[in-house]
Amino acid sequence: MSPISALTLCLLVAQPSAAEAPRKVAAKDQKAEPVDRFSVNAQSETYVQLYRRALVPGQNGQVVPTELAVPVHEYLFANARDVDAPWQKDSIGLEFAAWGRVWPTDSSIERPFDGDVQTANVRLEAGPAWARVGRQQIAGGAARYARFDGVMVGVAHRGFFLEGYGGFTVLPRWNDQPGYYRLGKAEDTLLTYQLATPKRGNYWLTGARLGYQTAKISGSLSFHNEQATGGVERRNLGLDLGATPLSEASLGASAMLELDSLRLASARVFIDATPHPLFDLGAEFLHTEPALLLSRQSVLSVFSTDGFEEVGGTLTAKLQRWLKLDTNGYIEAYRGTGPGARGEAAARIVLGSAYPTLVRVGYTRVIAPKNGYQALRVSLGRRLSHRLSSTLEAYGYIYDEPVAGYKTSSMYAGTASYQVIDPLEIMWTASVAQSPFAALDAQTMLRATYRFDAAAKPRVY
Amino acid sequence: MNARFPAILLWLTLTLAAFAACRSESAPPRFPHQVHLAGIACGVPGKPACLSCVSCHDVATHDSGQRMPQAAVCARCHRDANQVKAVLSVAPVRPSGEISIDHDKHLAMPEIRGQCVPCHAGVVDAKRPPLPPMSQCFSCHEHEQQWAQAQCTPCHEPEALRRTMPTTFLKHDTGFLRHHGSVMAERQQAQLCQSCHTQAQCQACHDVTQDLTVEKRRPEKIESGQVHRGDFMVRHAIEARSQPARCLSCHTVQGCDSCHAARGVSANVANPANPHPPEWVGTNTSSSNFHGTAARRDIVACAACHEAGPATNCIRCHKVGGYGGNPHPRGWKSARGVDSEMCRYCHE
Repeated sequence: MSPISALTLCLLVAQPSAAEAPRKVAAKDQKAEPVDRFSVNAQSETYVQLYRRALVPGQNGQVVPTELAVPVHEYLFANARDVDAPWQKDSIGLEFAAWGRVWPTDSSIERPFDGDVQTANVRLEAGPAWARVGRQQIAGGAARYARFDGVMVGVAHRGFFLEGYGGFTVLPRWNDQPGYYRLGKAEDTLLTYQLATPKRGNYWLTGARLGYQTAKISGSLSFHNEQATGGVERRNLGLDLGATPLSEASLGASAMLELDSLRLASARVFIDATPHPLFDLGAEFLHTEPALLLSRQSVLSVFSTDGFEEVGGTLTAKLQRWLKLDTNGYIEAYRGTGPGARGEAAARIVLGSAYPTLVRVGYTRVIAPKNGYQALRVSLGRRLSHRLSSTLEAYGYIYDEPVAGYKTSSMYAGTASYQVIDPLEIMWTASVAQSPFAALDAQTMLRATYRFDAAAKPRVY
Repeated sequence: MNARFPAILLWLTLTLAAFAACRSESAPPRFPHQVHLAGIACGVPGKPACLSCVSCHDVATHDSGQRMPQAAVCARCHRDANQVKAVLSVAPVRPSGEISIDHDKHLAMPEIRGQCVPCHAGVVDAKRPPLPPMSQCFSCHEHEQQWAQAQCTPCHEPEALRRTMPTTFLKHDTGFLRHHGSVMAERQQAQLCQSCHTQAQCQACHDVTQDLTVEKRRPEKIESGQVHRGDFMVRHAIEARSQPARCLSCHTVQGCDSCHAARGVSANVANPANPHPPEWVGTNTSSSNFHGTAARRDIVACAACHEAGPATNCIRCHKVGGYGGNPHPRGWKSARGVDSEMCRYCHE
């Protein structure tokens, strides 16, 4: 498939059922040349919400002004893979994702139109090397998670791989407006100081990763440097190791060194195992120093280096084909205060097979400094027919200490999805909740999803 | 809402479970391969010829849709055409989609010796899977190499990969969500993870600049462990204290402050609502409410409202010569000199 064809397919989102065509050709002509491998898919999601909200909650039940909200969101996604390039077959990939919003009702803080491009990049391969150009992300290792407009290149040979990247950090979409570049929607007039207008060129990042991977062992050493106005925002060195000595067990470790203070910002060791087909086990140890994860330009980052440790594990038991138990528990050791803990036990029941019904009941307990909570979550999902499915959920919380004078909150939610035609699905959802912050919170939303897929099937001999 | 809500929830659970149980259909019967292969008297005078896999399945055909037996094959013994039709109408379960495999080539391999059962043990043993697990494919050097190079599509359909969960290698088990970032780093993320996932999928959770959170967009995912589900607005302060800095995986402290400022709970707005307890600020440093203890433990929570560069109110007391004292902990060091811009806020 040529790049022009792929782009045309992405943009037009035309006929949905072209996916079967290559397969039938292959069946009729068994001696034909291998099918040109490619896949193109696109998706559109439209959301219409309806709710009332109070921007500034009142104290102790005080009546506060509310406003009606009917935002309409549109998410678009398109992706093409294994597109042929003149120099190599199946060597081009394209990805695009964006969202937009219309706010039709009057609002003191929302703009009538808003939106952002989340991803827009082209990936090219040439032998063992590849490059990706455009808006993209780097995740894991020293980078943790960062988005940038730039270039990432990589090369792999005999299990070794080397990757490097650089570009301008993606800032919130309204960063071109003076005093409004911060995330969120705080009005400028609320602030007691003047925000500086950011200079786009001062926000940039670069990094690299060197690693080795086989089916059983893998590891990488990574470096990430991120600049912001004033100097270094983050400068980290990361080490990530993984091993799968048996198909029933895998283990890994990671560490991130903060280079400004030469201290370990975080370290993690984990093991996942399946000692018996019925049981999955996991264990993990995590050390974190929160202050070292703040921006190096933050005054508060120099105030503390107290860390905390977390140790715990997970256990999944597939007791019957229809019954699975999920449990997990973690204990946190903070310096200077008592320990914390969190744990969950859940039973998952699946009944039927043609139109299965899923019932999940989960209990959660969290103990943290100053406050904690118990939660019960009950979920029911059922496919009612070939095209219709629905879910119901109920959440209940009991807080150890009252929040705004209340000790409990609850929420009930439901969805109904209908597959109108193969690529088009309509979903309606509604929820009601009662919490310390709202005597009644009722919301509803309509979602329309249109999916387009086209792909050459691999040959099945 | 009162304290009876656990009982209400329990009642709701039982009602829903009863409803589900009454309304559920039974699974279609699994085809009795074992009976056909080993449970029928055959091969002797007066009995039909013994059956093997290829008696019914034409594995050499290039179209997977035509590898199911034709009705005529069944009709040699089974007279009830409706029964035959019903049995053949049950589509085989392919949780990982169709696998691109050359059966002829595999059957000719000396390790397999033309036998189907070594890979498809489940057809004669109900306790074993009807399709081989991926780890069995990796017993062959070629496929292990493909795995190491993150080449999934030689065997898997790209479309199927998007809806397939790994069950052996890279199993996305209950602990996977917690360390998926590490797994991404140690492999060629652009190759391996993106065989199945797109960057847009990562951003569904991690891109906090979007208005709709992933929980809002996918309310039907009732099995998800997404942290913001349910009454997160009330819980968020507890979650942030429970695992300090975890929020920073996606959010910036400016993100916290912008929301707090809009609601008047921030040091950065005029006449802020003060959420702190008594003795938060003062001379009683031994008080359990003293801000210094909390700041030592979780400075990120402080930054959620007090992050304001040179306007940070911490500087007022903690600058050099201030009565708040030196805020640096024991062993503090930095690669920057005190003449750097941020350090000069206090070290004038």
